[in-house]
Amino acid sequence: MSDTQRGDTGTDRDEAETESDPPEGYEPLDVFGTTTEMDLRSGADNCTKVGTCDAECPVAEVNDDFPGPQFQGPEQWRLSEKDDVEIDDSITECSNCLQCDSGCPSGVPFSEMHNTARAKYVMEDQPLSIKKIRNRILANYRTSAWLASKLPRTANFFMNNGVVRWAMEKTMKIPSEREFPEFATQTFREWWGKRGGEAASKERARAARTERGEERDADKRVAYFHGCYSNYNTTEVAKAMVRVYESLGYEITVPKQKCSGTPMFANGRVDDARRHAKVNVEHMGNAIAEGYDVICTCSSCSLALRQEYPDLFDLEGIDELAAHTYDAMEYLRIHEDLEAELAGAEVEEFPDVAYHAPCHSRNQGLGRQAVELFEDVEGVTVTDVGDSCSGISGTYGWKSEKYETSMEIGEEMFDHMEEADAQAGMTECPTCSMQMEHGTGYEISHPMELLEAVLVD
Amino acid sequence: MNNTPHVVVVGGGSTGVGIARDAAMRGFEVTLVEKGNLTHGTTGRMHGLLHSGGRYAVSDQESARECIEENMILREIATHCVEDTGGLFVKRPEDTEEYYQEKLEGLRACSIPATELTAAEARAREPYLAKDIDKAIEVPDGAIDPFRLCVANAKSAQNHGARVETFSEVTDLLVEDGEIVGVEVTHESGSGNHVHGVEGAVEEIRADHVVNAAGAWTGELAAMADIDVEVRPSKGVMTIMNVRQVDTVINRCKPKGDADIVVPHETTAILGTTDEEVSDPAEYPEEQWEVDLMIEELGKLVPILEDARTIRSFWGVRPLYEPPDTGTDDPTDITRQFFLLDHDERDDRPGMTTIVGGKLTTYRLMAEQLVDHLAEKFGIEAACRTAEEPLPGSEDEGAIEAAMNEFGLRSPIGKRSAERLGSRTADVLDTDEPNPVVCGCEAVTRAEVQDAIEESGSNLNAVRIRTRASMGNCQGGFCSHRMANELHPDYDERQARTALDELYQERWKGQRHALWGEQLGQAMITYAMHALTMNRDRDPAATEDSLDFGAFDAGPSTEARTTADESAGIATDGGEEGTHGD
Amino acid sequence: MAIDSDVLVIGGGIAGISSALAARQAGADVRLVSEAETTLHHASGLLDVLGYHPNAAGEGPVVDPFDAIADLPDSHPYAIVGESAVRDGLALLDDALGEAYQGSYTDANALVPTHGGTVKPTARYPASVAAGLASDDREMVLVDFERLTGFDAGVAADHLAAAGIPADTSAATVEFPIVVRDDAKVTRYAHLLDENPTVTVEGRERRVRAALADAIEPHVGDAERVGFPAVLGVDHPAEIRAELQDRLDAAIFEVPMGPPSVPGLRLEDRLYAALDDAGGRIEAGGGPIVGFDATEGTISEVYLDRSGSPIPYAADQYVLATGDVAGGGIDSDREGVTEPIFGCHVPHPTDRYEWFDEAAFGDHDFAEFGVVIDEMLRPVAETGDPEFSNLRAAGAVIGGYDYPAEKSASGVSIATGYAAGRQAAREA
Repeated sequence: MSDTQRGDTGTDRDEAETESDPPEGYEPLDVFGTTTEMDLRSGADNCTKVGTCDAECPVAEVNDDFPGPQFQGPEQWRLSEKDDVEIDDSITECSNCLQCDSGCPSGVPFSEMHNTARAKYVMEDQPLSIKKIRNRILANYRTSAWLASKLPRTANFFMNNGVVRWAMEKTMKIPSEREFPEFATQTFREWWGKRGGEAASKERARAARTERGEERDADKRVAYFHGCYSNYNTTEVAKAMVRVYESLGYEITVPKQKCSGTPMFANGRVDDARRHAKVNVEHMGNAIAEGYDVICTCSSCSLALRQEYPDLFDLEGIDELAAHTYDAMEYLRIHEDLEAELAGAEVEEFPDVAYHAPCHSRNQGLGRQAVELFEDVEGVTVTDVGDSCSGISGTYGWKSEKYETSMEIGEEMFDHMEEADAQAGMTECPTCSMQMEHGTGYEISHPMELLEAVLVD
Repeated sequence: MNNTPHVVVVGGGSTGVGIARDAAMRGFEVTLVEKGNLTHGTTGRMHGLLHSGGRYAVSDQESARECIEENMILREIATHCVEDTGGLFVKRPEDTEEYYQEKLEGLRACSIPATELTAAEARAREPYLAKDIDKAIEVPDGAIDPFRLCVANAKSAQNHGARVETFSEVTDLLVEDGEIVGVEVTHESGSGNHVHGVEGAVEEIRADHVVNAAGAWTGELAAMADIDVEVRPSKGVMTIMNVRQVDTVINRCKPKGDADIVVPHETTAILGTTDEEVSDPAEYPEEQWEVDLMIEELGKLVPILEDARTIRSFWGVRPLYEPPDTGTDDPTDITRQFFLLDHDERDDRPGMTTIVGGKLTTYRLMAEQLVDHLAEKFGIEAACRTAEEPLPGSEDEGAIEAAMNEFGLRSPIGKRSAERLGSRTADVLDTDEPNPVVCGCEAVTRAEVQDAIEESGSNLNAVRIRTRASMGNCQGGFCSHRMANELHPDYDERQARTALDELYQERWKGQRHALWGEQLGQAMITYAMHALTMNRDRDPAATEDSLDFGAFDAGPSTEARTTADESAGIATDGGEEGTHGD
Repeated sequence: MAIDSDVLVIGGGIAGISSALAARQAGADVRLVSEAETTLHHASGLLDVLGYHPNAAGEGPVVDPFDAIADLPDSHPYAIVGESAVRDGLALLDDALGEAYQGSYTDANALVPTHGGTVKPTARYPASVAAGLASDDREMVLVDFERLTGFDAGVAADHLAAAGIPADTSAATVEFPIVVRDDAKVTRYAHLLDENPTVTVEGRERRVRAALADAIEPHVGDAERVGFPAVLGVDHPAEIRAELQDRLDAAIFEVPMGPPSVPGLRLEDRLYAALDDAGGRIEAGGGPIVGFDATEGTISEVYLDRSGSPIPYAADQYVLATGDVAGGGIDSDREGVTEPIFGCHVPHPTDRYEWFDEAAFGDHDFAEFGVVIDEMLRPVAETGDPEFSNLRAAGAVIGGYDYPAEKSASGVSIATGYAAGRQAAREA
C-alpha cells in the first residue's frame, strides 16, 4: 500500500495535534459524593451471584492477588457506604478487559463499577509514587504520542534503545521486554489533509456511487473517530478504512478529536478522560447533528464512545453519540450487502491469518464478525483462535509489575495462534496487536486492511 | 454468702438480656430462658432504628426524652452495634406546615438536637430523595443491630455468672401456696448450646423471683399462674432492600401513618411499617398489600425504591400494653411506654414481675428500672452500672482499627468483620488456618462462622444472627450449604444436614415476600441449584425407602473404562479437547 | 439493510444451541444471538432427561426416562414433541459432544454424586464423572481442598453413605500443592492443573499434578476410585485424570459443583465449537433483543440494542430460547409476569402470593412460568392461536413444567430445541 499524496493541505489538518495539552496536575474529583450517577450500589441489584464473571476473568485464573470481579464489582459496592467507600488494593490488578461485563448474564454494570472504583482508589488511596507517574504517562498516551510523532525517528530510536529502555524500566517501571509502538513518519491526519480532506472524499464517494449505480446524492456519510493509534502508529488501518468506505460510496469527515480516554480511565484518571470526552462528544456530536454516523476502527475507542462514556460521564449529547457510534465493519454489515460484495471474491498476496477477537470487540458482540465475513473469500483463511484474552488490555501489560500476569494470560492465545495454520495475525485492537506480535513474532493486520485488499483495486 | 437471690428471666429479647446483664452485674444469681434463639420474638423483627426520640416528639414527649437519653448512652456502651447514620424528617408538599412546626417545637422541648435543612441541603446529603420535597429536619437517629446487641448483652450476663438457655421453653410456672417459685422448662436439646439430634429434657428451675419479659407471649406466660395481663399485639411489616438507597434514616414528617420510615441497616435499607392489631402473636396473616404499600408509599420519599430490588420482608409483633380500662381503639394510639407490673401488688400473686411495652432503644432503661425494683425487694444495694460499662465487643474502639489492617483480609471484608466483632476482632480473626470467605454477600469469613458455631452450637440460624452470613442478596442460596459444611466434623453429617434444612427454610420464609423481578430470578437460581443440581428436595438419604441402585447405570465396565481412557484420554486428550473446533 | 439469515435463534443456552444445530443440520442458514457472551457457566454439566415423575412426590427416581414420557400430562413439553424428538435431540448432542460425554449406551438413568452428597439422576454425564456413579460398588475416597468452601468431602462421603450407596466411602482433606489465595476461584485450580507448573514440595521439585497425587496417596488405601471437586482442568481434563489415575492407581472422577462450574464451562466450549464447525453463525454478547417488526402475524425483523443503536436482524423463522425467570426470558414485576421480547402470553395467577409455596421445596408456580406452545412449538395467545406464524419457542422459556423438581432441565431444552430448530429449517 502506498501513501499516495494528493491534493492540498486540508483545512482540518492537525487540529488534533494543536489541541493537545501537556501533562498537568489532576483535578480533585468527587467520585462518590454528590452525584447519584456514581452511587453504584444499586448496580448490585442485578447480581445473582452465579460467578460467571469470576469464571471468565483471565486475571483471577493466573494471579493470586486478584479476588475476582464478583468481589471487585457488585460485592464491594454493596458493602460500601456513601461516605466511607473502602476500595481494596486489588483493584489495581484488574486489567479492564471487561470479560466479566460481556459474560454477566444479568447486566451488572461491571465496567462502570471497575472504572469508578479505580478512580476512587487513585484519588484517595494510592500514595504518590513512581507507579502513579508511570500510570499517568501511559494514561496520557496521546500527549506523549504527540511529542514522539513530532520527531518520529528520534522517538523510535529512543523508545527502543537499550539504555533508554533500561532507564525507563528502572525509573518508570515499564518492562524492558516491551517494544514501544513505532511511530509513523506521517500521521493519518497529515495524510488525510494532504489528500484533500473532506472535499476530496465527497468527490471520490460520488464517483464511486455513480459507478455502483447508486444515486449520486445518496446520504452516505460517516465521521471517522480514528483514535490515537490509527493516527500516530497504524495509519495504514485508517487509510484502508478510507479507501474501503469511499469505494462503497461513503463520504468521510474526520472531525476534531482527542484520545477516547480509555487509557486514562483504565488507570483511574477519570478527570483527564472527562476532559477529552468533552471535546469528542462536542465535535462528534456536531457531525451527528449534520447527519453523519460515527465509525471507529479501534475496538477500545468504539467501546468507549458507545458504552463507557455514558457510564462514566454526564455530558450533554453523550447518549446521542453512543447511539450513533459503530464499529467500521459492523456499520458496513448493517448498511451494505457485504455478503454479496464478498461473494466469489478473491484476494492475492494476503497471508493466512490467526484472528484474535479483542475483548473490547467481544464486549460489543462483534467477536465473530471478521471470521464470518471472510469465510468465503478465496485466497485467504481467517482462523479464529478462540475467546482467550491477549493479556495486554491496553496499558495494563505495559507495567513492570503486570508484565508477567499479562504474558501468562496471553500464553493461551499465543499457543492457539501458533497451532493455527497461519503465518500472520489479525485483530481490531492496536494493543492486542502489539501483544500478539510480541508473543509470536507474527505481523499483525486489521480486518479493514483485508477488506481493502478484497474490495479496492 | 448463701442467700444470693436467684432470678429467672423469661425471654431472650432485648429486655430479657438487658435485665439478665444488669441483675448479674448487681450480684443476683441469674438464669435466662428463651424458647427459641436469642431475639426470637419482637427484637429480631424490628427495623433497627436507634430512636432519637424525634418520632415521639409531638405525640409522647416522655418517651421522646427517654429515647434521646438512651440513644446517647448506647452510642457509648454499644459502639459495635450502632451506626451513626443521623436521621431526617422530610416534609413533602402534601404534609402540613403546622405539623412540621409542631415537630420542630417538640424536638426542642425534648432537648433533641434538631437542624432545619432546605430541600437542596437534604438532597445534597441524600441524592435519592424525591425532587419535590419541601424541607427536612435533621435529628440524631441511628441504626442499631438488635442481634449483635442481644448477643453482647447475653455474653456480658454470662461473664457475670448468668446462665443463658436458648431453645428452652417455659412450659409451666411453679406455684406453691399462691406464690410463684420457679419455672418448668422444656429444653429442645438438653441444656447448653443448641445441638441438633440431642434429646430434649424437662427441668424445673426454682427461683426467688421470676421476671416475665416474654414480649408478645407475656399474657400466655402470666396465664400459667392464672394472672391476666392483656397484651395487645400489633403487627408491622418491614421490607428489606438489597442495597442501601440512603445512608441516613428517612422519616416522613407527618402525624402518624403506615410506611413512613427507611432505615439504612448494615448492607441493606429497611422500609417500615404498618400497625395492625392481631389476636395471636404467632399466627397472623402476612399479606401482599402490606409489602406493596411500603414500596408505593415510601417511593414518594425515595422514588428509586419503586424499581429497586427487595430481598425479603418480615413482620414483627409489638407487645403493646395499656392499663386495663384505657380502651384505645386504634393500636397506633396505644402508648409506646413500658409498664412494670409487680404481681404481688397487682394480683396478690407474689414471686413474679412482668415488664411489658417499651421499645428497643430504651431496653437498658427498662432493665435498670426493673432491676432497681428487684434490688429494693431483696435489699441489694449495688447501683446500676449498665449505662457506663461497655458491652463485650465495645470495650476498645482502637482495637477495631488495629485489627482491620492485620488479618490479610480484603479491606471491605476486614472492615465489615471488624464492625461486627468490635473489640473481639483480633481474637476471632487471628487464625493460622486458611480463612476463605464463606458468605460473599455479607463478607463473612470462615473464622467468624467458626467463632459463632463455638458460641451457639449447631444451629445455623444462631450463626446467622451473629455473623449476618446468608442475609445478603442470594439469601443463602450460595452460602447456606457452605455454612453447613463448616459444622462438620465437630457435628456429624446428619446434624449439619438438619441445620441446613432449617436455615434454608428460614431464608425462604422471608424471601417469599420479595418474589418478583430480580429476586424471583434469584429464587429460581437458588431452587435450581439446590433441587436440580444438588437434588436436596428428593434426597434419598432423607427417605425411609432404600433405593435400588442396581437398576441404574453403573458406568461403563471397568475394562471398557480403561480402554476409553487410553484411546480418548492419555494419548491425545482428544475426547475433551478441540475447544476451538480444529 | 438487516443482517440476514434463514433461521434466527435468540438465546445461547442449551436450547438455543440445540435449535441452531438442528436447523443447521437440516440445511438452513442459521444465526444465533445471545445477550451475554456466556450462557452455560452455571450449568452443572450434566445432561438430564427426566429424573422424577412430576406429581409423584415421595416416589424414587425414574429408572428409564424415555419410558416415563408416555405417562406425562399432555401439556408437558415432552408430550408435545414426543419421545422421538427427545431421542433424536439427544443423539444430535451425543454427536456434538463425542467421547466427552457418556451414558448413551443405555436408556437407564445414572445416579451422579452431587457436591452436597446426595445423588442426582441424569441421562448423560461428562466422562469426568463416569467413574463416580453411585451404582458402582467400588470403594471411593472423596478429596477436598482446605480453601474450597463449596465442597466438603467429609460431609459428602457421610451423606452418600446415609443414602445407602453400594460403595464404601471415606474422605480426605489435602492442601493444594500451590498455595492459592484463600478464596481462589475454581478456574484458578483448573488453570494450575492444566498448566502443570513446577512447585517445590519439601525441597523437591515436583509438577503440580504429581505433587497433588503425592498428597492424596496416603489417603487412598484400598479405594479403587478417587473423587475430586470439579476443578480438574478446562483445557486438558482427560490428560489430568489419566495422570492422576496413573499415579494413584485408582479411577478418577469429578463431583459436579454449583456455579460457576468447570464442567459447564467445558460443555459450553464444546457446544459452541460444534455449532461453529457446523457452520452456524454466532453473535454473543452484543446486547438484548428489544424490539421487532411484524406484519399480519409474521415477524420480519428484530432489533438488537447495542448501546442505544438498534441493530436489525432479519430471518424467515425465529426461535425464542431465552430461558425462564432465572435467565431473563420471562420477566416479572409486582403486577405480573411477561415475556419481554414479543409479549407472548404467559399464564400466571393474578395474586402474587399464589406464585410460590410456603415450603422451600414445595410446589412452586413460578418454576412453571413460561409461554404456552402448540404442537408446532409456536407460542400461543390466551385464545390458543399462535402469536406469530414464524416464531417457535425452545427450552425453559416454555412453561408448564418444574424442571428442578423433575430434573429435566437439559432434556427439555435439547428436545424442544431440536424440534423447534428442525421445524424452523423446514419452513425457512
